[in-house]
Amino acid sequence: MKIRTLLIVMCLTLLPFQAFSQDKKPEPGVFMKDPGSELWRQVRQRDMEGVGISQVRGVDSGVLINARGDQWARFRMTQLSTYGGMAIAGIFAIVILFYVVRGRVPVEGGLSGHMVKRFTDYERVVHWTLAIVFLFLAITGLILLLGRPVLLPLFGKEVFSLMASASKEGHNLFGPLFLVSLIMMLISFARRNIYEKGDMTWLLKGGGLIGEGHASGGFFNMGEKTWYWMVILVGLVIAVSGLILVSPTFGQGRVIMELSHIVHTIGALVLMTVSVGHMYLGSIGSEGALEGMKTGYVDINWADAHHDRWGKVCHEQDLIISAEEYARLQGQKPGAGEMETAEQSK
Amino acid sequence: MSEKLEKGLEVLRAEMDGKAKAFFSSCVNCGICAESCLFYTETRDPRYTPIYKTEPLRKLWRKEYSFWGKISSALGFSRPMAESDLTDWEELVYDGCSMCGRCSMVCPVGVDISGMIFKVKHALAKAGISPEGLVGATQRAVDIGSPMGITLTTVHAMIKHVEEDTGLKIPMDVEGADYMALLSSNEIALYPEYLESLAKIFDHAGVSWTLSSDAFEATNSGLQIGNKAIAGQLVQRVVDGAEKLKVKNVISPECGHAYTALRWEGPNFIGKAYPFRVVHILELLDELQAAGKLKTTGKESERLTFHDPCSIVRRGGINAQPRNLLGPITENFVEMADHGNMNWCCGGGGGVSSNERAEELKLTAFNRKKSQIEATGATGVVTACSNCRMVMEEGVETNEMGVELLGLTEMIAAHLEDRPN
Amino acid sequence: MIENLIDGPLWYFSLAVFVIGVVWRLGSIIFASRKQDLSVARGAAGPAAVKTVFSRFVPHKEIASQITLPIVAGYMFHLGLFALLFFAAPHVVFLEENLLGFGWTPMPHWAFIVAAQLSFLGLIMLYMRRMVNPVSRLISTWDDHVAAILTFVVMLTGCFALLEGSTGLRLLHRFTVELWLIYFPFSALMHTFTFVPSRAFTGAWFGRRGIDA
Repeated sequence: MKIRTLLIVMCLTLLPFQAFSQDKKPEPGVFMKDPGSELWRQVRQRDMEGVGISQVRGVDSGVLINARGDQWARFRMTQLSTYGGMAIAGIFAIVILFYVVRGRVPVEGGLSGHMVKRFTDYERVVHWTLAIVFLFLAITGLILLLGRPVLLPLFGKEVFSLMASASKEGHNLFGPLFLVSLIMMLISFARRNIYEKGDMTWLLKGGGLIGEGHASGGFFNMGEKTWYWMVILVGLVIAVSGLILVSPTFGQGRVIMELSHIVHTIGALVLMTVSVGHMYLGSIGSEGALEGMKTGYVDINWADAHHDRWGKVCHEQDLIISAEEYARLQGQKPGAGEMETAEQSK
Repeated sequence: MSEKLEKGLEVLRAEMDGKAKAFFSSCVNCGICAESCLFYTETRDPRYTPIYKTEPLRKLWRKEYSFWGKISSALGFSRPMAESDLTDWEELVYDGCSMCGRCSMVCPVGVDISGMIFKVKHALAKAGISPEGLVGATQRAVDIGSPMGITLTTVHAMIKHVEEDTGLKIPMDVEGADYMALLSSNEIALYPEYLESLAKIFDHAGVSWTLSSDAFEATNSGLQIGNKAIAGQLVQRVVDGAEKLKVKNVISPECGHAYTALRWEGPNFIGKAYPFRVVHILELLDELQAAGKLKTTGKESERLTFHDPCSIVRRGGINAQPRNLLGPITENFVEMADHGNMNWCCGGGGGVSSNERAEELKLTAFNRKKSQIEATGATGVVTACSNCRMVMEEGVETNEMGVELLGLTEMIAAHLEDRPN
Repeated sequence: MIENLIDGPLWYFSLAVFVIGVVWRLGSIIFASRKQDLSVARGAAGPAAVKTVFSRFVPHKEIASQITLPIVAGYMFHLGLFALLFFAAPHVVFLEENLLGFGWTPMPHWAFIVAAQLSFLGLIMLYMRRMVNPVSRLISTWDDHVAAILTFVVMLTGCFALLEGSTGLRLLHRFTVELWLIYFPFSALMHTFTFVPSRAFTGAWFGRRGIDA
């Protein structure tokens, strides 16, 4: 049945019916179908079968009220933000707990001061660019997702409205930058992240974080490779769904938008959660790890411990440089401070 | 404040002209100049970044000429310049810079970085913060007349030799000659072929020329060490010699820094313009060739390439002439990658080769030239600077490259057409 | 209260500091003493000076492959920022109403967004390079960091205010712009103007010697 017909029927029947009902008492036992409720059911489109016709030409213009919108809004306001918030809080709790229990994972035998080149300048620029864009999007995204339950009571309506508006604009503008950085990341790191023989052993050993001893790894170990492909694949999903959301002029309807939003948020929450673990392991969680992304060089003992197969290649090809040489390449005068570190760690 | 520091700062302040201010106001520390510097590319030591070598001058600019520097000095937050701000840079500017000027070509904001490094060198030299080798050479240049300690007697002995070999008379102290030729220390001590070639070529082309007993040395240690006063003193000797003989032109020999000292910086060092023209030997040969006075015969069949001496080509503007001269006498000539204004230095310019302490670094820097030469597949490298030639000969020998070094003037002399008698 | 300050006195103060500071700095460069070169020139200095001001926009091919990242990111940032600054619709309107009294055709909204994105990506990559490259890490001063971060903040508050619907965000952007204007003449940001005399001096020097630089 068409909505327009319904509207006409409604207009015609409603008044006389009311008038009639005032004049006479309704006869008991006679069932009168309430056309209002019928109409409302159609308008609400609870059973999603009717689509109206409108003078307005456009996607979904025949839908007066999107019934699924309610479902989506409820899901977003209750489940998505609640569980999302819990996931973010949870990962911080887990990392802190892990740090308390396990502490900083030291390099076996300490750092030697002898270094090997791990990343070029460009690779580090790509990593940190992606990292900054990601963090910015994560923060603005979380403000949008959790703002109402968390920030609104904290800052009040006026300030929060500024934050939300700013976050939305910032998030939309930076979104495409994430896709660009992601593609740069894909191009410069993909080859070294292809899975190879021996990666499963790493997984079986729990990546060396659980239990004793280090798990074997190549230039990148199984954990890093998995994180990399997760960033690329989930990242692409987030980017594409984000582009669908930010440019609603390409014929996508409400259903696609709602789905995109849910996929976008869940994907982002997954990446954010795991990224906290990545940031932890790349900095305070593991001795000698941050150096690689900072200066491009890592301690050979660190390489041997976490990437033994790559470390072996470095030994074989004589790629290891002394502490003095490393200090020189960093623009520090040889002999000033750097040598002591090497001595101390012995 | 120590005397050294005081002297150094005095010079630096005097050197702080509008150019330096424009340069330091513009530099955003992008570090692109590092990639142009062979001391950086061959060592990957960030301290060899060209703009970093100007730090003594730049630090002074920050402290005494910039807004924040003035404010923090006034409030007592800023540490005044210390002697270490000069002494720590001695190795960088004397050993780690050949004044090749490649950095000045690539700076996106147009800073003439090597020009600024020279200002720093000037201050260090005045403050007495220079490597011993250069100090000794400069002292000999002032006392004896030549950094290598060469005296007129040595020159006479060489002239005698050349006259015997060529059967030509070397004109000495001829008043009113068109050209007065100069020699670099290297050409007297290591490459007497140069004088021999000059004699042959000028005889062939009918050029009226002379040597001067008062001014035969073109090498300018004052420029190498950065001392403008001494550099001026050495230039003045040449000017006096030329004026005494009333010559119209002075020929700068196949030596890069001698050309810079005589042709470009000399008048500024002595504070007045010359009454004669300074011409580089390559310019003169090119002029003679263009005038049809230089007729050559035969071509070298060997695969040859040309090394552009920085002071003559990139900083001297003599780029086309060596190519014009090489064309008719070679049949298998190949250019190096990056040739011309962007060519790489041999590693021994700017006094580096006179500084024993820099020997190892100089050979490391030579690796760039080595790979450039090897890429051409040439068996002979022609150049037009006795210092480049000496440095490259040493590098070729150390690396056992089996490449021959040739002087361009000599090559021309070897291909002269017999004079119709 | 704050609104009146940011839209009024602070705006005029920062504008005055900017204009007077820039003119003063440029003047101290252009009118500073320069020694006359007594050597005989081989070529003309003037045309070479003008030429070098433009030729240095393109790196020499001999070094281009070594500096791809700073060149590409540098162009993204500078061109993006230039387009934003002078051709974003809100800026054109602002300049017309508050400063110049005339306007010009702004770029379309999508171009505005793309320019902003290029500019942001360029600036982030350049700054990251500054942080990871051993050369730029060694030579960078606190001024380089402040200048870069301040510019980023100005761009960011501009991006926050994109909706043009909130006075608070507009004021925030204007306030950061005013800070930037005040900082400008005393910082490395001056290279915006001084690169012209700098290139010209070097071009003239090379020109006198007959060198094509």
